[in-house]
Amino acid sequence: MAAVEALPALLALPFMQRALLGGLLTGALGGLLGSVAVLRQLSFFSDALGHSALLGISLGILLGVNPTLVLVPFAVLFALLVNQLVQRSRLPTDALLNIVYSTSLAFAVVALSLVDTYRGNIQQLLFGDILGISWPDLWVIAGLAVLALGYLIVSLRAQVLLILNDDLAGAFGVRISAHRLAFIVLLAVVVAVSIKAVGVLLISAFVVIPACAARLVSRRFSTYVLTSVLLGGSCAVLGLLGSGLTNLPSGPCVVIVQFAGFLLALLWSRLVVPA
Amino acid sequence: MAELVLQVSGLRVLRDGVPVVDDVSFALPAESDTALVGPNGAGKSTLVAAVLGLLPRQAGEVRLLGQPLSPQGRWPRSVRAQVAYLPQSLAVEGRFPLTVRDFVGFGFDPPGPRWPWRGAERRRQAIERALERTQCRALGRRLISELSGGQWKRVQLAFCVVRPRRLLVLDEAQAGLDAPSSERFQQLLLDLRRQEGWTVLQVSHDLEMVRRSCDQVLCLNRQLRCSGSPDHALSPQRLAELYGPGYVPYQHHHAPLS
Repeated sequence: MAAVEALPALLALPFMQRALLGGLLTGALGGLLGSVAVLRQLSFFSDALGHSALLGISLGILLGVNPTLVLVPFAVLFALLVNQLVQRSRLPTDALLNIVYSTSLAFAVVALSLVDTYRGNIQQLLFGDILGISWPDLWVIAGLAVLALGYLIVSLRAQVLLILNDDLAGAFGVRISAHRLAFIVLLAVVVAVSIKAVGVLLISAFVVIPACAARLVSRRFSTYVLTSVLLGGSCAVLGLLGSGLTNLPSGPCVVIVQFAGFLLALLWSRLVVPA
Repeated sequence: MAELVLQVSGLRVLRDGVPVVDDVSFALPAESDTALVGPNGAGKSTLVAAVLGLLPRQAGEVRLLGQPLSPQGRWPRSVRAQVAYLPQSLAVEGRFPLTVRDFVGFGFDPPGPRWPWRGAERRRQAIERALERTQCRALGRRLISELSGGQWKRVQLAFCVVRPRRLLVLDEAQAGLDAPSSERFQQLLLDLRRQEGWTVLQVSHDLEMVRRSCDQVLCLNRQLRCSGSPDHALSPQRLAELYGPGYVPYQHHHAPLS
């Protein structure tokens, strides 16, 4: 009851309004790209990218540059490097990603240990600080959301054929390398931009959980993508409200709500959706 | 003389610097059904991939409907639209949120964006007709991940037949099917080929099927070892040359039980 009474006051706070909008956009964006990433078996890629981003942040701190500015080029470079490694190496992708991200993490910790003047909170890097999101951050995320949506609408057929089989897609006129690269770079930029709000440890949940939940309950591809977007956005808003009302950390609250949504989808798929 | 749909001459493809396909030449007359046979590692899938422009070639020329494949492996758009291809397997793992009708629809759509309000009725009719012709009408609302192996292969044929095409390339499309499903698939393929005027190139290990259904056989083991009618190319002597001297074709006999 007290929580309901506190809600209007909470919603009146400017930083909370920005956080809710940021959560909605970040969650929806994660759900959008996650719907393709999960089917293309890139879930671990987003996780590895998130963890490796800590190195980008550490380099920014070490060089005295705003870490957010370093993060986007770092993530894109990381994605391109991993893409090349996956194509040229004969090692399994998950093993390769594990090597790259654990090495990045090791370098990140070493880099951070060299900085004795860092005043930032490591907790913020790990779990994000969505309450500290600014209007310029929101504009960047909104622009990215429009770009991602446009790209996926234009390339929907190509994405589905690529999920099914690269050669099938190529034979039906899809430019395999261009689309693979475009999607990976887009995913990298989204992960990098979302890290400020979500943190390096929880970013993959934003990409993977809504998509997996949507996959359980959807029958058509367009419904699946839409459900993933709606789940991503709504879980973020609910998680943030819960976090604000209970004074618990925001990023983990969002992920817990996403997990609850996943459990509900699982239940729904067992009880309602035909096998 | 029949029109030549596909002409390949002097094709050479390297993988890791090693020639996997070497100096291969052949032609497919219109509406013919040609089998590409050979042992594992003979270069069959590589040859198919090079012909489709999916793998770079180091030498040779490939022409489809008289148009050359560019050195970068690109066909003119109008020519590309005349080709359908079915690989050995498509990655449908777990619950895949795509209905049969939606999947077949992607076979109808040209590359690039599709505006839902443009040509929707024509698209819907083409999908329904393709499902009807491949005996998949009842499967339209099913998820592609819910289908049996035989149903999934027929749906893939619907994906190919949803739009008129000239060349159908199959890479071991019947792998993993049991005998009745394989038989049904092959009969359907034969019917569609006659109705649609398809020229078919199919990689296969099922020599009995090849003997029964195909007009022409290409025997590949890095180079083209022989070609011709099934009776000629699949003679015991030719098969021993292709697969090695120890190869004895399996003969199925129905002897009464004693």
